[in-house]
Amino acid sequence: MEGPKIVVRGLSKVFGTGDKAVLALDDVSFTVPKGQFLCILGPSGCGKTTLLRILAGLEKKTGGHLVLHHENPAQPLNSMVFQEYSLLPWLTVLDNVAYGLRMRGIPPREREARARGFIDKVGLGEFARSYPHQLSGGMKQRVSVARAFVNDPEILLMDEPFASLDEQNKILLQQELLRIWEGTNKTVVYVTHSIDEALYLGDRILLMTARPGRIKRDIEVSFPRPRDFKELKTNPRFAALFAEVWGALKEEVLGTTLKERPPRLAGT
Amino acid sequence: MAGPWKMVMDNISRDRLISILSPLMLLLLWEALVRFHLLDYRFFPPPSTIVGRFWELLVDGTIPSHVAISLFRVFSGFLVGAVPGVIIGLTMGLFPVIRAALEPVVAATYPIPKLALLPLMLLIFGYGEASKIATIGLGCFFLVLINTVAGVVNIDKIFLDVARNYGATKRDYYLTIALPGALPMIFTGMKLGLGVSLLLIVAAEMIGAQNGIGYLIWTSYQIFRLEDMYIGLVLMAFFGYFFTMGLNSLERVVIPWKDPKS
Repeated sequence: MEGPKIVVRGLSKVFGTGDKAVLALDDVSFTVPKGQFLCILGPSGCGKTTLLRILAGLEKKTGGHLVLHHENPAQPLNSMVFQEYSLLPWLTVLDNVAYGLRMRGIPPREREARARGFIDKVGLGEFARSYPHQLSGGMKQRVSVARAFVNDPEILLMDEPFASLDEQNKILLQQELLRIWEGTNKTVVYVTHSIDEALYLGDRILLMTARPGRIKRDIEVSFPRPRDFKELKTNPRFAALFAEVWGALKEEVLGTTLKERPPRLAGT
Repeated sequence: MAGPWKMVMDNISRDRLISILSPLMLLLLWEALVRFHLLDYRFFPPPSTIVGRFWELLVDGTIPSHVAISLFRVFSGFLVGAVPGVIIGLTMGLFPVIRAALEPVVAATYPIPKLALLPLMLLIFGYGEASKIATIGLGCFFLVLINTVAGVVNIDKIFLDVARNYGATKRDYYLTIALPGALPMIFTGMKLGLGVSLLLIVAAEMIGAQNGIGYLIWTSYQIFRLEDMYIGLVLMAFFGYFFTMGLNSLERVVIPWKDPKS
């Protein structure tokens, strides 16, 4: 692995002002080397999506430093795969996948050819002319993944892209994601609340605390690639790592459950 | 053709047939009621008489000239109102600052009945075409504007994030997010706008014109020639009906992504 792709130092994010101010992220620091598949794991509401949105430039940081190394100006810096169904309902599968290329002014013929290549890669070749409402949830997220990959960004940002899918589809899409990603040397930041997913996909897991989000643990996941889901699940090292991660995560989850609706301290 | 597809087609053509036949049945009922003296023929001349008179006026060119001028006014007014309505509506929808600035102005001027502005329009534009076109334009403008703004504001925020993340320019926001996303609401506004256009054209022509369908209706009242009045009314009804049908067909063509289930 080469030099750092992403450097985050003392990053913080506050939502709202005055009495209603909520500290979402507090003193978050980490470095991501180029080509790493980083999973950010944390309980719901820990600010991991906010962190990803700051990386994507969709949200402004309140404090701290953030550097994304943009090596090739001809290539987009980052593309995001969103949590919910984010396909534009008024565009066909083909036009959705080609959307980023269209925004970058790539001529229709070329962007169509490139989009078709990735639509085939995610196995939706015959649905190129369909509209999103005609697709199942799994198919829609395949299109979302294709849309991000065809844009050929240096960094892929993924916000729980498979969270709403059923277990079988989730495993299939995770496998497809790894298959497409492996060998691209793209840096990935993947937000999830699933330990299984983080262990299966990631080179490394950043474990976040419940609100305010801080980095609690930095865990190396060194299973060799290409990874096989079945094999990995029966690997004793997987079980040990799962137990370790769950142990750390449990405190946070219990913490938020017990502290649900915390008493207002200020001004009461 | 496969079985289920054919069934769908059969259903569509059956529904079309019913929607064409129902107004004809109503006319038939009217004719029968007058013939059996259940309706006063002086106020409700039978459709057959009206059709005869219609043919007369059609052949001598009276109806075509009235219809042509009225349609010209309606379509010009519609365009003059709807086009800026869409453009300003998209802008207000996309930019909260502009929305905040213009919303009070719109809220204050929208409730003014546009017909109440006709005298002002006559003063400004005179008795020529411009005064009618401007009145109709105002009526369409507000309906299209308000619905367009609502359409853009209701677009799921995630689509704006997508556009931003993939590097959309201002122009891309208009053409790939705001316009297509608001299109269903824009159509709602246009349908309402056309309805109001028909209302305004009749009123405007009764007051400030020497031709057009509204003028035909008003003069036939003054000389108590009710067949002519009914011709005017039927023409208006027909235009209302066909405008709506036309916009519905256009909507199906322009919005092919609309989920039939939603």
